[in-house]
Amino acid sequence: MLLTGLAAATDLETAMSDSKNWAAQAGDYANHRYSDLNQINATNVGKLQVAWTMSTGVLRGHEGSPLVIGDTMYIHTPFPNNVFAVNLKDQSYKWKYEPKQDAQVIPVMCCDTVNRGLAYADGKIFLQQADTTLVALDANSGEVVWTAKNGDPKIGETNTNAPHIFKDKVITGISGGEFGVRGRLIAYDVKTGKKVWTAWSTGPDAELLVDPKKTMTWTNGKLAPIGADSSIKTWKGDQWKLGGGTTWGWYAYDPKLNLVYYGTGNPGTWNPAQRPGDNKWSMTIFARDLDTGMAKWAYQMTPHDEWDFDGVNEMLLVDVDMKGKKVPVVVHFDRNGFGYTLNRETGALLVAEKYDPKVNWATKVDMKTGRPIVDKQYSPQTTGPDVNVKDICPAALGSKDEQPASYDRKSGLILVPTNHVCMTYEPFNVEYTAGQPYVGATLTMFPTPGSHGGMGNFIAWDPAQGKIVWSKPEKFSVWSGALTTAGDVAFYGTLEGYLKAVSTKDGKELWKFKTPSGIIGNVFTYQYGGKQYVGVYSGIGGWAGIGMAAGLKESTEGLGAVGGYKELAKYTTLGGSLFIFALPGDASATSAAR
Amino acid sequence: MRKAIALLILTVAQLASVGADDVKLYEVRDGTKVDAKTLMGWKTWRALACERCHGQAQEGLVGPSLVERLKVLSKDDFHTLMQNGRPDKGMPPFGGSQMVMQNWEGLYAYLKGRSDGAIQPGHLYPIE
Repeated sequence: MLLTGLAAATDLETAMSDSKNWAAQAGDYANHRYSDLNQINATNVGKLQVAWTMSTGVLRGHEGSPLVIGDTMYIHTPFPNNVFAVNLKDQSYKWKYEPKQDAQVIPVMCCDTVNRGLAYADGKIFLQQADTTLVALDANSGEVVWTAKNGDPKIGETNTNAPHIFKDKVITGISGGEFGVRGRLIAYDVKTGKKVWTAWSTGPDAELLVDPKKTMTWTNGKLAPIGADSSIKTWKGDQWKLGGGTTWGWYAYDPKLNLVYYGTGNPGTWNPAQRPGDNKWSMTIFARDLDTGMAKWAYQMTPHDEWDFDGVNEMLLVDVDMKGKKVPVVVHFDRNGFGYTLNRETGALLVAEKYDPKVNWATKVDMKTGRPIVDKQYSPQTTGPDVNVKDICPAALGSKDEQPASYDRKSGLILVPTNHVCMTYEPFNVEYTAGQPYVGATLTMFPTPGSHGGMGNFIAWDPAQGKIVWSKPEKFSVWSGALTTAGDVAFYGTLEGYLKAVSTKDGKELWKFKTPSGIIGNVFTYQYGGKQYVGVYSGIGGWAGIGMAAGLKESTEGLGAVGGYKELAKYTTLGGSLFIFALPGDASATSAAR
Repeated sequence: MRKAIALLILTVAQLASVGADDVKLYEVRDGTKVDAKTLMGWKTWRALACERCHGQAQEGLVGPSLVERLKVLSKDDFHTLMQNGRPDKGMPPFGGSQMVMQNWEGLYAYLKGRSDGAIQPGHLYPIE
C-alpha cells in the first residue's frame, strides 16, 4: 500500500503486493502484519482446525515466522539456524541449509538462542545467523550466493534479528547490549553482499551518520538541529565505546520518503550511576535515508536509562487523522510503557501516552521537551548502587518487548501483545571485560500488583488519540506477534501454547487451540490452492520463557503474585514445531485455485 | 549404645576430613552474612550475571541447578570448568575474566554454601 510513485517494483515488492504470499516477516515494509485475506473471518473462525504440522527439529525459543512465496514456504529455526524450503503441495523438503556455527556463540547469547526469521528478495533467501554471518541463499536451490560478517562473537556480538530487505538493500543490526557492544545498523547490497553503510548508535558525528545542522530532533516544543558531537558529549570520557544502543528489533521503510525507521537499545551497563549523561543515541528512534544512511531525525525516548527499557520494538508506519488532517506517522510501543506517535516525515512528537495504565517509572512525557518526567521513587539513579528499588512498573522486559503489534487497516486500530509485569532493580558497579557480561543489576520480576493478577494483556490502541480501546487480560505475557486480517479477526499466541482468534472490534475470544509448547512466534497467513491458511511456531523460550522463569523459586518477592510464574511450568515445556490451520472442506468452494 | 559410638566415630571422622583440606570453606551467620572471601565469591557471581543461566537461587534455568551440581563437583573440577567452560553446553570459559580467576575459590565457597543450604539466596553482607 506504500508502493506508489516508484520506479519498477522489485520482486519482493511484487510478492508483497499479492496477499496470497507472506513474503516478508511483517508482510510489508510498514510493519502492519495485516492481510487482505478474508476466507477465515469472524463468523467461521470457530471452525478452524489443524491442516498440517512440522517439527523444526530444534527445541528452544521460536520467534519470528516462516515466509511464503508462491508454492514454497521457508522455515527457520533457533540456533543452529537451519533453513528448510518446503513444497506446499505435499510438504516435502525442496532443500535444507544447515550452517555450521561455533558453539562458543551460545553462551554470549545467554539465555536463549532465538532467531526472528528470514527475508526474501532478488530470488534469494536471507538468513542472519547467530554468529553475525549474513547469508544469501538461492531461493530455488539453497546454495550460498554470498556471505558477509557484521560482528564478532568474541566480544559478545551476536544476532537475533531478522534481516530486513528495503528496495535494493539488506538492513541488519547487532545484539549484545548486555556485553558492552556498540550498536549500529548496517546496509548491504542485495545483489553482491557489499557493505554500503554503517550507522553507529553512539560516537563521533561521522560514525553516527548525522549532519549536526540538518539532522533534527524534537526539543523545546519544536524540531531543532541536533548540533555537533550530540552523542559523545552525553557520555563520560570514552564510555560511548561500550555504549550499547543495539539494534535487534523490527525496522520499517517508507518508499515515498526513502526513510528507514528503527530503534536503538539500552546503554552499556544497567548500573546508571556508572554512566552519567543522556547516553545518546541509545533508546532512540532513528529515521535514516536508505541510500546513504544519513539520519533525517532522531528522538531519544528514555534519556539516561535506569531500567533496561531498550527502544528496539517495531516501528509501524500508518497514516492517521489528526485534527481533520491526514498525517503520515510512525507508531512505536516502547519497552518503557509509552506508546509514541511521531510525524514520520519531520520527527515531530505528536502523542506519548501509557499503553498500560500501571506504568509508574514516569508520570508522563513532557510534550514540550519530549522527555519523561521520572518518579524519583522508582529511579535507581536517585537511590544509587546497591539499593534495591521496589515495585517499578514495567519490568525490564517492558510493557512490551520484541513481540510485534499489528495494524488493522480496516478499523485503524493497532492490536498490541503486551506484558503486565513489574520488578525490583538493584544496580551495582561492574568492570568491563571483552566478551563477558556487562550487566550490573540484579532484578526480580512479578505480575503487576493491584491488577488482574495476570502478566499480560492483548490490547487495541488508537494511535491518533493515544488511548486503549479495549484490553483483554492474559494469564501470562503475550509474547507472540499479532496478525489482523480483512476477516475482522486478530490472532495471537500465548505462553501456555494457545493460538487464539479474537474479534478485532471488541477482543471477544472466538477460537483457541492448544499447541504443544508456549508460543513466542508471530502469526502469519497465506493462501495456497485457493485456500487461506493461518500458521505459527510453537516453542517456548526467549526472555519470556526463560527470563520470566528466573523468578520461579524466589519466595521473598511479590508473595502470592509469584504464583503466576510458577504456574507456567504447569502448562508447557520446550518445543519446536510449526502449526498450520485452515477451515475444513474443499478449497474450490471458496475461490479459484492459484 | 554401639550404634551411638559408631555414629560418634563417623562424626569425628567427618570433622577431621573437613579440617584437613577445606578449613572453613565459608563462614556464615544468619544465612546472609559471610566472610570476606565468600562475599567476593557472591559479588563475582553477580557481576558475571551467572543467574541468567543458573537462576537467581541457583535453581537452574537453561543451565543446570548449582544447588545439585555442587553436591558432586570437586573443587579441582570446578576450577577447570571455570577456566575452560563447556561451550557445547552453553557454559562460557571465564579464563579471560580477571574477577573470576582471582575469586574462583570464593565463588566455589559461595556456591557450596548455597548447595549446603547454609547461605540464603539473594543479597549477602559482610559478617562485621
